[in-house]
Amino acid sequence: MSEVRLQNLSKAFGDTIAVEDVTMTVPDGAFVTLLGPTGAGKTTILRLISGLESADSGDIVIGGRSVADETPAQRNVAMVFQQYSLYPHMSVKDNLAFPLRSPLLKTPEDQIQRKVAEVADVLRISHKLNNKATELSGGEMQRVSIGRALVRNPNIYLMDEPLSSLDAKLRSDLRIELKRIQESLGATLLYVTHDQIEAMTMSTHVGVLDNGRMVQFGSPREIYEDPINLYVAGRLGQPRINILPADMFAGSPDGARQMGLRPEHIQQGEGKPTTVKRVEHLGDQIRLHLKLEGHDVVTLTHPNSELEAGDTVAIQPRNPLYFDASGARII
Amino acid sequence: MSDTPFDRAAKATPPTVASKIRGLSDRAIAWIFVLPTIFLLLAVNIFPLIWTINLSFTNFRANRPNREVEYIGFRNYERILTDSDIWLTMQATAHFLFWTIFFQVLIGFTLAWLINRKFRGNDLWTTLIVLPMMLSPAVVGNFWTFLYQPQIGLFNYGISFLTGVDPSSFQMIGDVTLAPWSIVIVDTWMWTPFVMLICLAGLRSIPDYIYEAAEIDRASQWRQFWTITIPMVLPFLMLAVLFRGIENFKMFDLVVQLTGGGPGSITELTSINLKREAFEKWRTGYASAYAIILFVTVFGLASIYVKALNKVKER
Repeated sequence: MSEVRLQNLSKAFGDTIAVEDVTMTVPDGAFVTLLGPTGAGKTTILRLISGLESADSGDIVIGGRSVADETPAQRNVAMVFQQYSLYPHMSVKDNLAFPLRSPLLKTPEDQIQRKVAEVADVLRISHKLNNKATELSGGEMQRVSIGRALVRNPNIYLMDEPLSSLDAKLRSDLRIELKRIQESLGATLLYVTHDQIEAMTMSTHVGVLDNGRMVQFGSPREIYEDPINLYVAGRLGQPRINILPADMFAGSPDGARQMGLRPEHIQQGEGKPTTVKRVEHLGDQIRLHLKLEGHDVVTLTHPNSELEAGDTVAIQPRNPLYFDASGARII
Repeated sequence: MSDTPFDRAAKATPPTVASKIRGLSDRAIAWIFVLPTIFLLLAVNIFPLIWTINLSFTNFRANRPNREVEYIGFRNYERILTDSDIWLTMQATAHFLFWTIFFQVLIGFTLAWLINRKFRGNDLWTTLIVLPMMLSPAVVGNFWTFLYQPQIGLFNYGISFLTGVDPSSFQMIGDVTLAPWSIVIVDTWMWTPFVMLICLAGLRSIPDYIYEAAEIDRASQWRQFWTITIPMVLPFLMLAVLFRGIENFKMFDLVVQLTGGGPGSITELTSINLKREAFEKWRTGYASAYAIILFVTVFGLASIYVKALNKVKER
């Protein structure tokens, strides 16, 4: 496994700028997650690192060696695509063995069989090994495509929303499994996701992208607790951070235009009165939809709360985040 | 009864065909639609086939309809299968089939592969390459006889330009060894585009992301070609071979235009041989048996082949 460094990386497709001047380091053995909405450049960064796209400018350094002019094979990276790109004419076993059968590696057949069986076991597809790749469900196909990356020992694993097409149970199981594998192998992993739980629980680092630019890079807690602007603050947090005018409550610093309130920034019981619009019981907690002077506020409350729609709750901010007119954070 | 505008409108509408022939069951109506087709099929396909089988056991001659017809059992079949000339014809046909299909698949696939690498103007190239296929075989046969002319033919001049041989020193059509190849060349020229189109469809059915995955999996171009391209195009290739095989087994028009079966009977393929027996020598019973043998051969080979094709597709 190796450290991967991106230096001032840029890529445009015609007039569309996909990646703009991105600099970041994926440390050896780190699990880095890229967050951002569709079109932010997450997938393009993966494709640039893998060598499927070539950068317009900037450099990619894998394990201390610039790979900008190398082919995907020379870079030795493994990638899990968002659409399960299995070889449809091969069996599951042959799909998993395909990277190992590369003439470059000269892996003995018994070793290939052992490795394939091992990975199939972890991903719980052992009983499907002799099936044709097209005779699988979507979740199984995605597991095979994850497996095809895991059989290898690459410089870095690149994964493009690998769990997004799986059902909730399997997703949470595989999330833990994937993290366990990454830790036990000491693997370097660059991961793209929309899922906040995946980003928060699996990653050692999170990079937030906006329109091809890297806005903030840090640990998941840093990104969550200390976002540098409104955009980053909105990327993490369920329910989403509430944005209110800064002057609604006393105590806002100079220049603050907006304040961001996560549920833990909202103290219930005193302050301004709000009307309860809707109560959502999530089991372990209750989500409250409140109306405060014409603004919507969503927050959480303890699971045995007796609140109903139409009730009044007083709320008050506690250490909220403040942002100026441009959206930048004021500390 | 109510008398709303809807009811009045319903009464004013003329009765439909279905209600006119009410009393007929759905099944009966279905038969009315299907019967003309069944009748046509019986008249132009099934009856002639049965009649041919019947004639194949007789010594009937169509040019002497008044002669008494004798049933002679399997004697026609016996005579055909033991006739060494017919085996030579079969050999010529097999030779022709093998080489035309070999060259058409080889060149057709290569062209498809080249066209599929998205370059500027590949649509124009596709159109140009496909042109020969759109011509009438009679026209093709006719103008290739000119191209093959030893004195004025472009083909001979082309060969002489490439090899330095005197253009009038060889005759493609008149020469015993070259004549079969002259037909193979023309058929390949004309039908390679067809094989190319089928291969192109096959190549275009392979999504790009499969190649991307293979590239990430560190497969070389060579390995990608043999483990992805070829296996995924194979069903299409086999289909092309089936079409060309069936077509060329009954090859007639091109050969008649080019060599007429000659020199001697070197290029006399089964279909030409059969036509001679049936409509020049008027041995109708004998020719019928011949036709049945050919039919069974093609049908049998094609069925085996289709089974293999399905197996490849299911893989």
